[in-house]
Amino acid sequence: MKKGKGWLKPLALLSLTGALLVGCSSGNNASPGTPAPTQKPVEQVAPQATSTDDEKPIDGGTFTHSTTSDIVTINPIFGNDTASGDVMEYTQAYLYNRNPSFDLAVYPWSLAAELPKISEDGLTYTIKMKNNAKWSDGTPITADDLIFTINAIKTPETGSPEITKYDKVKEMKKLDDYTVEIKLTQLYAPFAFGLMQKLAPAHVLKDVPFKDLQAHSYGKDPAKTPTSGPYKWSEWKQKEFHVLDANPNYWGEKKPHIQKVVYKIYADQNTQVQALMKGDVDLVDSIPVTQLEAVKAKGTINISTEPGPSYEYFAFNFDKKNFPNNYGLFEGQKTRQAIAHAINRQGIIDNILKGTGKIMDAPFLPGTWADPGDAAVHYEYSVEKAKQLLKEDGWVAGADGILAKDGNRFSFEFIFNSGNSRREQAAVVIQQNLKEIGIEAKPKALDFSALVDQYANPGKFQVLLLGWQLSDPDPDGISTFGKKAFPPGNNAGWYDNPKLDALWEKAVSTVKQEERAAIYKEVGKEISTNLPYVFMYQYGTPRGMTSRVKYKDEFKPVSMIPYGETFGFLNWWIDDTKK
Amino acid sequence: MTEYLVRRVLQAVLVLFLITVVSFGLMHAAPGGPLKVMLSPGMSPEAQLIQMKNMGLDQPVYIQYMKWVGNLLQGDLGHTFKNNVPVGDILWPTVWNTFVLMSVAWGLSMLIAIPWGIYNSTKQYGLSDQIASIVAYLGFAMPTFWFGIMLQQYFAMQLNLLPLSDMYTMGKEGQVSDLILHLILPVTVLTLVNIAAYVKYTRASMLEVLEQDYIRTARAKGMKERRVIFRHALRNALIPVVTIIGLDLPTLVAGAALTESVFNWPGMGRLFVEMAVAREYSVLMSITLLISLMVIIGNLLADLIYALVDPRVQLGRKGGRAA
Repeated sequence: MKKGKGWLKPLALLSLTGALLVGCSSGNNASPGTPAPTQKPVEQVAPQATSTDDEKPIDGGTFTHSTTSDIVTINPIFGNDTASGDVMEYTQAYLYNRNPSFDLAVYPWSLAAELPKISEDGLTYTIKMKNNAKWSDGTPITADDLIFTINAIKTPETGSPEITKYDKVKEMKKLDDYTVEIKLTQLYAPFAFGLMQKLAPAHVLKDVPFKDLQAHSYGKDPAKTPTSGPYKWSEWKQKEFHVLDANPNYWGEKKPHIQKVVYKIYADQNTQVQALMKGDVDLVDSIPVTQLEAVKAKGTINISTEPGPSYEYFAFNFDKKNFPNNYGLFEGQKTRQAIAHAINRQGIIDNILKGTGKIMDAPFLPGTWADPGDAAVHYEYSVEKAKQLLKEDGWVAGADGILAKDGNRFSFEFIFNSGNSRREQAAVVIQQNLKEIGIEAKPKALDFSALVDQYANPGKFQVLLLGWQLSDPDPDGISTFGKKAFPPGNNAGWYDNPKLDALWEKAVSTVKQEERAAIYKEVGKEISTNLPYVFMYQYGTPRGMTSRVKYKDEFKPVSMIPYGETFGFLNWWIDDTKK
Repeated sequence: MTEYLVRRVLQAVLVLFLITVVSFGLMHAAPGGPLKVMLSPGMSPEAQLIQMKNMGLDQPVYIQYMKWVGNLLQGDLGHTFKNNVPVGDILWPTVWNTFVLMSVAWGLSMLIAIPWGIYNSTKQYGLSDQIASIVAYLGFAMPTFWFGIMLQQYFAMQLNLLPLSDMYTMGKEGQVSDLILHLILPVTVLTLVNIAAYVKYTRASMLEVLEQDYIRTARAKGMKERRVIFRHALRNALIPVVTIIGLDLPTLVAGAALTESVFNWPGMGRLFVEMAVAREYSVLMSITLLISLMVIIGNLLADLIYALVDPRVQLGRKGGRAA
């Protein structure tokens, strides 16, 4: 889980929710006092296959995908924001794709011909590419493109945000026009997932100095951007829309049925949802939960409420300097466990998230191969247990009802980004939940950028309420919990656990997946016992799709993988006759 | 007159300079920056430093400011940090789109509000005056975005008569008839809000003038009421109205952000909000500069029109107005 994009995603959300007051903050107060039911499956109204077997795909038609932010670039070396990623899903082919269970896979639309061959020592990867792939301008896609792309990304002068993916690449050798051998400096299992890469065209960019690549028009000017995927980029009207037409030079044996994709930019989520209900757009991947009922009532829209690859956390700070009298409030493991028991996570999911979330006990996506399952400790909502644990840890109620120990009141501030209504509402519940066990927790909303810059990056806060997007299919979490990632790294709370560090290291130097999975089981157990975070829940935003879009079950959207809303898109078709 | 103009223009330049210094300073002083917004936190400090250099963010703020001014004087508004696109490419289309929306709404408001206000001043507390009061209350009290959404629900969703949002239907860009259809709803929202204020101003101003001695004299002379109103009262009554409308112009443009968002109108207000979140300093500075320019020009125009409408206002003479 290289969580690089984690902090970008809330920003994207912020830009949508922050822009408008409309509807974002309509309150659906949770009832924190009610005991939580034990974990239950979320309501599944995922779109099932929307066609029967006897229906034949129809060629033609236009599919309109809506968004609330414009792209940065569709040059795979630089584009790593959600909108750019969306447009690249249609226009740029992956070397390797991922399948619905988050594993590396080769599909007819992947550039690779077969899965990478990994040497015995785990240091050498041999990649064989298809020999018939072409850019939309007709130039063949070869080993040169792969070598060029990785080289550009790993060179610091380029300024690629993806640089950490390839910093362990020692050398690359072109064995023939379609085969590349990559040697690593050290054994590093997550590298395989790093190969889930879209390529940049060497024939267009190879003479551009690395430092000038970002300013180059490739990826920003449709006329100068040959693409490798099933669609070519025909038009970009800044801040309004993109037009993508089926690529006439597309090399894949499976050609798209849908002839044209419009990627349309809306000012905010509410405007977007209105457009979905009017039939102006076909896909909205973030319906505010407050509007879910209205969309359902429309009847012509397939809704999925399965959570996506993101989770929310409540992170403790272990640096005593952040507390009065240098007295770290969260030193005691039992204290942290008490807080986990006291927060009514299921209540928040049911009432604020409207059931569109799942409780998480460890930083691994439920259902993936690294998910430790029951090996992780589950903290059910229990005020009694919480009080008991606090007592065992030496906390005693003071005169004002707030707990105290060694003359220090149990009072702290927890910060989160403003403009995120889900988080704002959850903060109120957390505050009330903790008050019930004698802890004074003061919520404080801050502008996202200020929060990262002044609090999270330097590690100066008491508690942080934020989320991670698990954009990388690899479960490695050392860059979030390891000592090496102390601020300004992602380990914002200065969490130091040598036992865990050793386990993370061991896991990335083990290439066999079953062995790695066993190690992550141990990680799950250790981290959920020791609790640097209260892992809150996996969440996602409900997705809506008009019923004119048809697909067979095997090609339905997948919520769990990033960009999974268009998984199998090549096999979809538009049927306007049966609305 | 010429001396006055020159003096005002010089003042304007000074004010603009101060505005840019202050805005530039404030933007850079605000926590978080374009780099924080863009980069993955896992990136090494060295790589981040290189990126800062690429963006020119490693230099002191005053140097960055001087560079910005230098480029501006050569007509270069700068580039965005995120994808290195010239600011003009993003900004100018939105300025035009906002202008189209605002000029129609503004023109329509004046066409309706001024005659209506005049009429109401002659028929105080009549039916028309009472309707105007209701419109004014609605206009002042109703949140524009809410009114916009209500119009959308009824005319676009239920009746399916008008487009829900955007400036053009896809594929019909540039077609005037399509544009007009898309203008109806947002213009209705903005016009209602403007009318509310302008009818009240016109009416109040007319009433004040109608009570003046010279009007009574004119009436006493046996002058026709029509002539009293249009010849004597109107010219004077319009002075404060023109001033208010002149000063309103830039705030109208800036204030259209909500309406633009609700109707997904690709305008400048919407752009400003988006760019503020992304910390795109160059775009923000350009919009700030543009709005400041409009405030200053609006002021200047109001003063000039003042002089044209009321000969008692003498420009250029020190000591101000000679009665």
